[in-house]
Amino acid sequence: MDRRWIPILIVAGVVLAAWNLAAYSVPQWMQAIVVQLGEPVRTVQEPGLYWKLPLIQNVLYFDRRLLDYNASPREILTKDKQQLVVDNYSRWRIRDPLQFYRTVRNEEGAQSRLDDIIYSNLRETLGRHTLREIINEKRAVLMEQVTKRSDEKAREYGIEVVDVVIKRADLPEKNELNVFSRMRTERERQAKKFRAEGDEEARKIRSESDKQVQILLAEARNKAEVIRGEGDALAVKIFADAYGRDPEFYQLVRTLEAYRNSLGEDTAVILSPSSDFFRYLKKLEPSEKR
Amino acid sequence: MSERNQGPWSGGGPSDPIEILTKVWEDIRRQFGGGTPGRFSPWLIVAILVPLYALSGIFIIAPDERGVILRFGRVVREADPGPGYHIPWPVEEVVKPSVTQIRKAEFGFRTVDAGPPARYRDEDVEALMLTGDENIVKLQFIAQYKVKPEASGATDFLFNVRDPQETVRAGAEAAMREIVGRNEIDNALTEGKERIQEDAQLLLQQILDRYDVGLEVATLKLQDVDPPDQVSDAFKDVISAQQDKERLINEATGYANDVVPKARGQAAQLLNEAEGYKAAKLQDAAGAAQRFIALHDEYSKAKEVTRQRLYLETMEEVMGRMQKIFLDDFAGTQVVPYLPLDQVLKPRPVEVVEPAAQPATQPTAQPGRR
Repeated sequence: MDRRWIPILIVAGVVLAAWNLAAYSVPQWMQAIVVQLGEPVRTVQEPGLYWKLPLIQNVLYFDRRLLDYNASPREILTKDKQQLVVDNYSRWRIRDPLQFYRTVRNEEGAQSRLDDIIYSNLRETLGRHTLREIINEKRAVLMEQVTKRSDEKAREYGIEVVDVVIKRADLPEKNELNVFSRMRTERERQAKKFRAEGDEEARKIRSESDKQVQILLAEARNKAEVIRGEGDALAVKIFADAYGRDPEFYQLVRTLEAYRNSLGEDTAVILSPSSDFFRYLKKLEPSEKR
Repeated sequence: MSERNQGPWSGGGPSDPIEILTKVWEDIRRQFGGGTPGRFSPWLIVAILVPLYALSGIFIIAPDERGVILRFGRVVREADPGPGYHIPWPVEEVVKPSVTQIRKAEFGFRTVDAGPPARYRDEDVEALMLTGDENIVKLQFIAQYKVKPEASGATDFLFNVRDPQETVRAGAEAAMREIVGRNEIDNALTEGKERIQEDAQLLLQQILDRYDVGLEVATLKLQDVDPPDQVSDAFKDVISAQQDKERLINEATGYANDVVPKARGQAAQLLNEAEGYKAAKLQDAAGAAQRFIALHDEYSKAKEVTRQRLYLETMEEVMGRMQKIFLDDFAGTQVVPYLPLDQVLKPRPVEVVEPAAQPATQPTAQPGRR
């Protein structure tokens, strides 16, 4: 190898080393503080390429992204003395890396500090409201309050709390059983009601139709009797008109007809030959006996 | 920057590019063309490495990706699918997240086996939720989301939130529980589903936008909304009670439909019978009256003779068929007459109407037969 290359390589080496020691880049998702002999001197929150003094300054990086805080579920007592198991989470970011570094040092420290801040705020705020308000009516408003208060508190630590959200709010197991039995009785009540309503409706319909049947038939009988009566009356009138012409003759004719109809083959009659019908029988053969 | 990077190498040797190239060429010739072997020139290495290094800046973005180019860690631009070039490392680099892919998260259940047949496992801790009326409902849903197509979507997705997936999960759970908390159980189980779904999707999008996570919710869909297993039989019984109610009403209506028309028919029958009776009565009466009048007309012409004739005709007919016993008035007054009526009348058959039948039945109608 040529001797004249040696200085070139040396220069290159020195430049590279200097570059490494003096230049640093902060990526998009990071922020940094520059520490000079243990003393923070500068905060870098914009990504890009930066310079520092070699050797005596070094760089501490912190996440610039939104971070999550996830607490394990905890019981909170509501205003109406209900136990509520609250599982909440929070999104936060490091707002001031220098302050953050001074007070909590790293994310682990921040988590435990957030735990204190958020839980106490949550307990206090939820404790002033009823279960119904928490679950139903005011959830969003309450969480805004908790977020705001926690954020104010967390500023001391260079932290911004973006939000605190109740992920789950459930009843503890024993209360859950109560809810289940209440739900069950509620449903049983409904089922009974439906069945009774069915019975009610059915009875109404049946009795209504029975009523209609009775009315229909009675009306029909009524009309039928009237009609029959009319028939009878007219018949009587017709007879009376006809027979009224000669009542004596009618009597004769009708009597004879009655004889004809009532005296049949099985009728036995004991007669005296002196009766009117046999008048001639006696006179022509007076000795004849039976 | 690139010039500063090249600095170390442009410091020493010849500065004229043509001179450099000539020298490089000579080196190559000497190295391979059989010149003095063993003579190694750094220029050769430079000549190979510099183009290679420059080429390393070429990148290709696949159709489902979007490129984000970082210069010293700072986002400088985004690149659409296709080939592109960035200043080689360590100045610039490219990150290529998949942006068209639709990501899916499941809540309240997990797919154990995508199948077919698909198998699922319930996650009751996630699925059970408190409703606004302090009931508990079991609700399973999925969320599908993707990187926002807008210009900054990929950058936001990559760099704004540490754990975007988990953020969606937590946000979706919170959103759904908040919405369900605003609804009553009956609503959540029945017609309110659509609404809950829409509201939860809207709320989740709000949450995600608050975080600037660069994601958009494509769909949020309720899968199953059921009463909890512990009380599902009671809920089912309500359904069957409803059906019982329907059934009872239907049966009663059926009964009504059966008896009322029948009664109408019966009523009509009664009326018709009555009408018939009336008409028959009138006709009979008219007929009899006519007959009497006709008879009477004839009678008026010869009263006494007709009287006699009617009497005798009738007696003839009546006497002709009757059984007769003559008893003289004289015999009756002498002693108490013995008259064995049953013997006298016996040969006569009983209740036989047709004269033709009489000879046939007469011999058999003996006392022993009785």
